[in-house]
Amino acid sequence: MFRHTPLRYATLVLLASVALFRVFTAEYFGLEILTEIFILAVLVLALDMVAGFGGMVSLCHGALMGVGAYAYVMLSTIAGIAPPVAMAGAIAITGVAAWVIGAICARSHGIYFIMATLAFGQMAYSYVFEAPIFGGDDGLGGISRLDLSFVGIDLSDSRSFAFFCLAILAAVYGAAVLILRSGLGRSLSGVMHNEQRMRALGLTVWRVKADVFGLSGMIAGLAGVLAAQHIMYISPGLLSWTVSGEALVVVILGGVGTLIGPLVGAVAFVMLKHELSAVTTYWHLVVGCILIAVVMSRANGIFGWLEDRWGARIDRRAADATRNQKTEEVASDA
Amino acid sequence: MLETRNLDKSFGAVHVTRDVSLKLERGERRVILGPNGAGKTTLFNQLVGELASDKGSVHLAGEDVTALAVAKRARRGLSRSYQKNTLFDGLTVEENLGLAASIHTGHATTLWSDSLAKPEVREIVQDVANQVNLMPFLHANVSEISYGVRRQLEVGVALATRPLVLLMDEPTSGVGPEMAKGFHDLLNNLPRDLTLLIIEHDMDLAFDVADTITVLNYGEVVFDGLPQEARGSSLLKEIYLGSWEDA
Ligand SMILES: Nc1ncnc2c1ncn2[C@@H]1O[C@H](COP(=O)(O)OP(=O)(O)OP(=O)(O)O)[C@@H](O)[C@H]1O
Ligand SMILES: [Mg+2]
Repeated sequence: MFRHTPLRYATLVLLASVALFRVFTAEYFGLEILTEIFILAVLVLALDMVAGFGGMVSLCHGALMGVGAYAYVMLSTIAGIAPPVAMAGAIAITGVAAWVIGAICARSHGIYFIMATLAFGQMAYSYVFEAPIFGGDDGLGGISRLDLSFVGIDLSDSRSFAFFCLAILAAVYGAAVLILRSGLGRSLSGVMHNEQRMRALGLTVWRVKADVFGLSGMIAGLAGVLAAQHIMYISPGLLSWTVSGEALVVVILGGVGTLIGPLVGAVAFVMLKHELSAVTTYWHLVVGCILIAVVMSRANGIFGWLEDRWGARIDRRAADATRNQKTEEVASDA
Repeated sequence: MLETRNLDKSFGAVHVTRDVSLKLERGERRVILGPNGAGKTTLFNQLVGELASDKGSVHLAGEDVTALAVAKRARRGLSRSYQKNTLFDGLTVEENLGLAASIHTGHATTLWSDSLAKPEVREIVQDVANQVNLMPFLHANVSEISYGVRRQLEVGVALATRPLVLLMDEPTSGVGPEMAKGFHDLLNNLPRDLTLLIIEHDMDLAFDVADTITVLNYGEVVFDGLPQEARGSSLLKEIYLGSWEDA
């Protein structure tokens, strides 16, 4: 069940401050990397919601992101719908698609669930790849970003767009927390801990799984819309299962079921990718080694390791601090 | 309140429950006795729908629920506890009870508020925690409480859906005699209109709570009657004590 601890708050504040600082100070290339991090972070939040809090390890979140991106482009560029409406439409379409996938896969578990979601992802990939209307291998271009000029923001500027993505990431984080703390999110935790018992208590388990999968799909779709607007060009590669795999790597690297861990993972992953690929073309090997080290350490990713090491101590300090404050208040009252 | 007609279940060639017909009145407290492997747990699984019956029907509050799935039967007021603890490990006692209570109160699928913070849910959690003596452990994690307390929570979770009929599969299994006695006091203090079906191994304890007794042997009902009749029955002694001595 999701909880904010002092360590989690502290990490959030730190991440947010650094992100804000970088958005205001970074140059063009830095802004591109920041935007990439923010969009990946939105995607891995969606994935952590289902994988970390519902035990639904999905290998179709990349494809869902792709569905969001393509739906946005089809609606805005091809159908000529205004970008904000197209954006909402794309999110809705991805949500419905994810809900259906969730409803169908809800009865399978573990490796079977992973394979079923992978199959759905591959179906979407090959359809987009083959269907001429989606531009096939060549992809689609000419994508417009949202027009926020009425509030004086020009999103064609990299800095503004990075800031826009950061704002959306913050909103998505808030939404994810609210979802996990809602009745639906609580029930999802119950299902992850003991599905049989939740059913015996009267819960329609598949509905809860499908609903959360649908919500998670909406967030993945939003990541897709952002990705399309960022690169202003999309290709079927966006739906490739390797994107889903990479998102899963980021979630595991950061810490499954912590929400904040995947944010840390997204930062680490994108930074590593750019730093290492500048030095060697074999950067995947290094990331692989790091992932193996993280998994072998038996900690729950980077953030899980931090929580094991520092969490208890920091939480105790915070508890002491509030207690001292209370005793002081009592003393001053007397 | 709860009725079964001619329930049957086989696993391959093993005939586990045979033609089981039971009838529980509202508020009745019935204890099921029977040696190991008699089919008691299997019967419970058939009652709640976790196992499909080969033959026969289950009726709850006058309605045929045989075709209903587990969750639907539960929402009609049928709740059970398990012989082997089936809890939400990793969550607190309060959260365990709250998850059950939020399903009963209809807050388990809402997106707009926290089910565990709802006053109705909190009230049920408090009530049940009082009923099964869990108040001191509310904020403890399941992994931090003793086995005996977990047995109490096992029943508490089942109670938190405010059932009409509660099935308890050996609530005292594995706990010491002292605690088992406490458990029976606790059962005796449950609301009188709650219909109880309890699997119990210890005869003396069984007689302590039972209005009526059913004895199952090789999947068959071999005795159905009042405790005082059961006490004198030579048949019961033979089956039950016989297997007791074997064990
Ligand atoms: N899923 C199953 N598949 C095959 N055989 C089963 C299954 N479940 C139970 N059995 C068999 O059915 C018989 C009755 O089992 P059951 O668990 O109902 O007995 P019980 O009366 O609850 O015994 P105990 O007092 O030991 O709990 C046993 O022989 C058991 O091995
Ligand atoms: Mg049994």
